[in-house]
Amino acid sequence: MRSGRRIRQRPDPGGYDVSRTCFHCGETIAKDVALSACVNGGEQPVCCIGCQAAAEWIGTLGLGDYYRLRNTTAERAVEAADYSAWDRPQLQRLYVRNAADGSAEVCVLVEGLRCAACSWLIDRALRDLPGVRTVEVNPGARRVRIVWARSDIALSEILHRLAQLGYVPHPRNAQALDALDQREARAALKRLVVAGLGMMQAMMYAVTLYAGAFEGIDPATRDFFRWIGLLVTTPVVVYAAQPFFIGAWRELRTRALGMDTTIALAIALIYLASLYETVVGGAQVYFDSASMFVFLLLGGRYLEMRARRRAADVVDALARLQPVLAQRRRADGALETIGVHELEAGDIVIVAEGAAMPADGMLLGMACEVDESLLTGESVPRARYRGEALIAGSVVRSGPVEMRVAHIGADTVLSSIVRLIERAQIQRPHAAVLGDRFAARFVAGVLVLTALTAAAWLYVDPSRAFAASLAVLVVACPCAFALSVPVAYLRAASALARIGVLMPKAEALEKLTRIDRVVFDKTGTLTRDRLELVGVEIAGKRSVNECLRIAAALEYGNAHPFAAAIREAVPGERSILKAEALRTFAGAGIEGRIAGHRYRIGRADFALALSGGTTDDDNVIVLADEHGALAHLRVRETLREEAATAIVALRAQGLAVAMLSGDSDARALAIAVRLNITDFRSRAKPEAKLRALEQWRRLGSVVAMVGDGVNDAPVLAGADVAIALGGGTQLAQSSADLVLASDRLDAIPAARELALTTLRVLRQNLYWAVAYNFASIPLAAFGLVPPWLAAIGMSVSSLFVVLNSLRIAPPHISTEQVSATATVAAEAVPA
Amino acid sequence: MNIILVLIPLSLILLAAGIWAFFWGVNHAQFDDLDTPALIPLADDPPPIAARNEDDAAP
Repeated sequence: MRSGRRIRQRPDPGGYDVSRTCFHCGETIAKDVALSACVNGGEQPVCCIGCQAAAEWIGTLGLGDYYRLRNTTAERAVEAADYSAWDRPQLQRLYVRNAADGSAEVCVLVEGLRCAACSWLIDRALRDLPGVRTVEVNPGARRVRIVWARSDIALSEILHRLAQLGYVPHPRNAQALDALDQREARAALKRLVVAGLGMMQAMMYAVTLYAGAFEGIDPATRDFFRWIGLLVTTPVVVYAAQPFFIGAWRELRTRALGMDTTIALAIALIYLASLYETVVGGAQVYFDSASMFVFLLLGGRYLEMRARRRAADVVDALARLQPVLAQRRRADGALETIGVHELEAGDIVIVAEGAAMPADGMLLGMACEVDESLLTGESVPRARYRGEALIAGSVVRSGPVEMRVAHIGADTVLSSIVRLIERAQIQRPHAAVLGDRFAARFVAGVLVLTALTAAAWLYVDPSRAFAASLAVLVVACPCAFALSVPVAYLRAASALARIGVLMPKAEALEKLTRIDRVVFDKTGTLTRDRLELVGVEIAGKRSVNECLRIAAALEYGNAHPFAAAIREAVPGERSILKAEALRTFAGAGIEGRIAGHRYRIGRADFALALSGGTTDDDNVIVLADEHGALAHLRVRETLREEAATAIVALRAQGLAVAMLSGDSDARALAIAVRLNITDFRSRAKPEAKLRALEQWRRLGSVVAMVGDGVNDAPVLAGADVAIALGGGTQLAQSSADLVLASDRLDAIPAARELALTTLRVLRQNLYWAVAYNFASIPLAAFGLVPPWLAAIGMSVSSLFVVLNSLRIAPPHISTEQVSATATVAAEAVPA
Repeated sequence: MNIILVLIPLSLILLAAGIWAFFWGVNHAQFDDLDTPALIPLADDPPPIAARNEDDAAP
């Protein structure tokens, strides 16, 4: 047996040698284990491979001092937990998204991840693994996003490494998140109330003491009140202030100074000094300051936590949409209930009314109504017909629905939306990173300054040294500074999500405020990819209704946009006549026979060939019989209902609006006229569009390009801010800065307004924090600020920042903007 | 003045009782959702699912 020098041979009945304990976790080491870890240049016995790895790894990081500093042993490194299940494809499908280049992405909820130091530790630990490409840690949401190469490393190894550090990883699962959030929220509320009640009591007794100091008080009564004050403050410091001490301990352990260090130091100093004064019957106690300090800080943290949770709410609401079980139809026709993760593409599932779709798929039944409100913000149920796509998470309003599964788990639209929001939350904006770095340096400076103040006062007037240095410590806590950026950004992200705008890149907000030109793509962006019938001119003796019914009969079953527009104009299928001998002439039109007469519909030259004669309008289709034209049907592209209002709103914000179109001059002009856009280019290929963007940018414009996320991706990449429309499976791959998941253009002006507000709030927060700290520190150092006032000042500055950030609210988008053109169209076609 | 020797401990006992009651409430989910319960009485009861199915007469 190794390391016999440390063993007092005293085997216990269980076969364990109690004297030989693990260097890392402190547990006894089984006799037959002869492992050791090399830490700080010495061999240390460990109990298992997990602890060996943890100890050696911490040692190689140069953090070996951790073992000297710690006062409790670490969690036993979780070698026992088996993460290999996560390598099973059935499970991975739910949580892991695979990219084409062989990399995969997962979002992990990490227990015990609390502060910047933890995130640094995790970041360092995972980045060292071969095959891990990206690690993004979000301490606010306690989540880690990991991108790794499938060929180089398995997910289980990554999770294992996290567990080795003592952080328990949970690949994202909405239910686990719930429980954790709930525990955290409850604990915070309890602490807040304990601190609040304690503070009230302590202040009451403090008032007595202050009054006594002026009016005269019998020392016995005074001491009685001090002991009572101590009694009510102790739970506040010991229980309510725990998060600060734990945070300070973490910061010390990782040698990353942060706010918690100053806070914990101040609380401990105030409390211990008061305790000492109480015991020896000294001059002054500060129990009221201590409890108020804790209460106000906890209040700030509580508000921050609420803001954070509200931002995370959107994600959770989306994630929770996905059901856990599904009803699958077996080959023999019987139904079986299985876990959603067992579904495969091609399976047929039955979804009951009121239930949510377990996967993306295709409708097999005739028709159904689904509620996709969480994806689109549209609360009116949408009708879906046979063969159309159904989205996971949407709720069946009329059912049951039978569908064929197309995408499952992480490949569904819902999952990609959730991932987009999460990515936006995890990516910390540049300003936040700078803020953290500044805070760490600032804390070091504050500690030095406190020491200097104490030294100076000890020299000048020792009786005031303690109060003055305490005031410096309290007043200079850079909480407000550290809070200002993350709170504002989190608020903005959740507000944006509420108006259906996702922000995959955190810098998008900043860039959005600087744009001065918005360029729209035409097809699919300003217009929907379908046509609408705007007018019927009668050329023969038939009535409008008759003509439409004939036209619809001819176009029945045709997939051309023209056909769809005409069919839409005829209400109900019952009035459609039966056409025979239908023949489609590609690029020209359709010929058919109804009740013995030959009819043609299509381009003028084709339709009128039956009778002779022609017209040359691009947007007119002609219905004709053997004797001549019956009607001219005028169609045009359907504008998005909200396009006009969005453009007006953007102009009102002082932005130039332009349009790029690959379509013909006439079509582009028609749309430009309807939307009052003077600056447009037609017949522009993607390269031409890119060139146009470059030209604008060369002239000093900051350009936002709005386009279809997939088709316009290359053009979007050439803009300063890329705004992609549309939910779709490709959503996650799009390189857009902003994604309009609601598919509404009027979200753009709203988002810009929100961005402007956010930046304004952010600036106010930073100015306030800097001004406050720089103004108050000298005052405190010269002894002009008593500790209780310093506590109020510091907490008020943090509260100011949080409350100010809460002003960032989702802007209101009116839903009644049915554009005038749509009404006109409806009137032009008599039903 | 000796009355405070009774009253203050009494107030502390009441305080402790109050905190205990609050903790009990928190642990029994009384504070988890402060918004929704207020709206529950205002919402209509959903119609029975069976009745709706007949109306729709799904194909």
